[in-house]
Amino acid sequence: MSPRARLAAALGVLTLVLLAVAALALFLGGAAISPRAVLAALAGRAGAQSVESVVTLSIRLPRIAVAALAGGALAVAGVAFQALTRNPLAEPSVLGVSGGAAFGVVIAQSLGLGFGVLGAAGLTAFAFAGAVVAAGAVYLIAGAGRLSVQTLLLAGVIVGLFFASAITVVISLLDVNRLGGVIYWLLGNLGTLPPASLGLFALSAAAGLGLVLVHARELNLLALGEEAAQQLGVDADRLKIRIFAGAALLTASVVAFAGPIGFVGLIVPHALRMLLGADNRLLVPAAFVGGASFLLAADTLARSIVAPGELSVGVITSFCGAPVFVWLLRTRYRALL
Amino acid sequence: MPKLLVLAALLGLAAPAHALSVRDMLGREVTLAAPPARIVSLVPSVTEILFALGAEDRLVGVTDFCDYPPAARRKPRVGGMLTPSLEVIAALRPDLVVATTEGNREETFAQLRRLGVPVYLVAAHHLADVWDAIARLGALTGREAAAGPLLAGLRARVRAVEQAVAPRPRPRVLYVLWPEPLIVPGRESLVTELIARAGGRSITAAEGSDYPRFGLEAAVARAPEVILLANHSASAGPIDRERWRGLTSVPAIRAGRLHAVDGDLLHRYGPRVVDGLERLARAIHPEAFR
Repeated sequence: MSPRARLAAALGVLTLVLLAVAALALFLGGAAISPRAVLAALAGRAGAQSVESVVTLSIRLPRIAVAALAGGALAVAGVAFQALTRNPLAEPSVLGVSGGAAFGVVIAQSLGLGFGVLGAAGLTAFAFAGAVVAAGAVYLIAGAGRLSVQTLLLAGVIVGLFFASAITVVISLLDVNRLGGVIYWLLGNLGTLPPASLGLFALSAAAGLGLVLVHARELNLLALGEEAAQQLGVDADRLKIRIFAGAALLTASVVAFAGPIGFVGLIVPHALRMLLGADNRLLVPAAFVGGASFLLAADTLARSIVAPGELSVGVITSFCGAPVFVWLLRTRYRALL
Repeated sequence: MPKLLVLAALLGLAAPAHALSVRDMLGREVTLAAPPARIVSLVPSVTEILFALGAEDRLVGVTDFCDYPPAARRKPRVGGMLTPSLEVIAALRPDLVVATTEGNREETFAQLRRLGVPVYLVAAHHLADVWDAIARLGALTGREAAAGPLLAGLRARVRAVEQAVAPRPRPRVLYVLWPEPLIVPGRESLVTELIARAGGRSITAAEGSDYPRFGLEAAVARAPEVILLANHSASAGPIDRERWRGLTSVPAIRAGRLHAVDGDLLHRYGPRVVDGLERLARAIHPEAFR
């Protein structure tokens, strides 16, 4: 099969999976609405003010969009960080990049940002600054040149812990009444967004995805080593800065709009690598669609198991992700450590 | 002529019944299509007030924490204060959601407003705010007739407590909202005012914000003569008194004046806050109520 045909086949199958999960998410939820009523609302046959229309079109559908965007962005950020560091275990939360972005958001929130589209843009900018500082710190600590797997992971843990403490400092100064909301946000939660914010989220995720996608071929060459890549005509430094910016932007936009959600960038790329191989031209778009399905499934679970209450989706992804991380360490990457 | 004015006023009130605009306790404008008949309460205090006003038939949804009066538990639940389910709320078809900036999240209000559900915010830092909340919810639900006597009764009980403690010396009180980390009522909290009306002097009354964190050393240095430990519903477990018994330099400990108080009565701002005040006064001035 030609690479193009493989890409088309993989994306086709993954899109079908995404549609199936989205259908499930559309039919499940705390409000008991029959599948028939959901379909009627989708087809526009229910009254605009009816419960089924409001729940289906104004609550479930926008939340599905947010979940899919966030999942796709996190999975692509995972692929990008893994290619950039040539470390299969790199991932925004493991590297402490999510922690840096979260610190940025907490600072922005304590400055009073957060409402309206301008506030959302401000939050994204602060998150991006935090993500860049964290990723830069990890890079410097681990020793810019060659990054051994262990050193990089340790550096990530250290940076993650540092930002977690920094967040603790900020929230211990907060009033008790606001504490609950901030802690809730820190667990990683999806909800509906105002249209302008959703647009901004989609725009920054698309920019990050585009940046990684156009360099997918060069990322394949980077896997051979920086020197080899240089000899094959890749400007390695420029490539790394762009991928770094793209991955930080993807992470930051998710953290700004949904909070830090861990391990999506680990689970999804690994599952897809097992199925599709390591070609980034295939992996990057596949990770976007696969990540969307994964986070959407996790969020549907999060809002169904304790209905009418809701769990945080970050809790679900961590429950799945931590064992996967350990399993990867103990099996596939034993030799690397 | 005055009759005409009254008539005009009545017409003026009656005419916009299809779209009435009110201001909530945070001064935000809330536009209602009609007097609310299907209310979802995201605040346990509000649930208590609506029941006390006899407006419970208009209450169609409450949070998991709305546990008083017992009949509130039989209302449909929409989840926790921080994590209510948007779609469960929407499915209840509310024409008003009553919420608070102290315990709910701003995102929840924004999401509800985008769904076209008006959100009325309440907050109470003083006893006057509690009366205000009761009067406002009474007016919103057409239960002014019940609000009047309810408020008169509550105010009379507050006066009785104040009269009973007025001649007594005012002991220094440490109120422990949460022991670890130590969280206390500050300048802007209702509990601080209740302690003062119960004849005590809260040693943390001048601290900034509503419920600041406070150092144990600072608390010991201010030599409280009475220590009140708030308990938070049954699920939070028993109060750990032993931690405090070791602080023998503190007058309250030496005098054995370490008391438990019911946090649900003192931290919520429903009518039961007066029960809380009465118990507070008995804990601070037991001799005044013999």
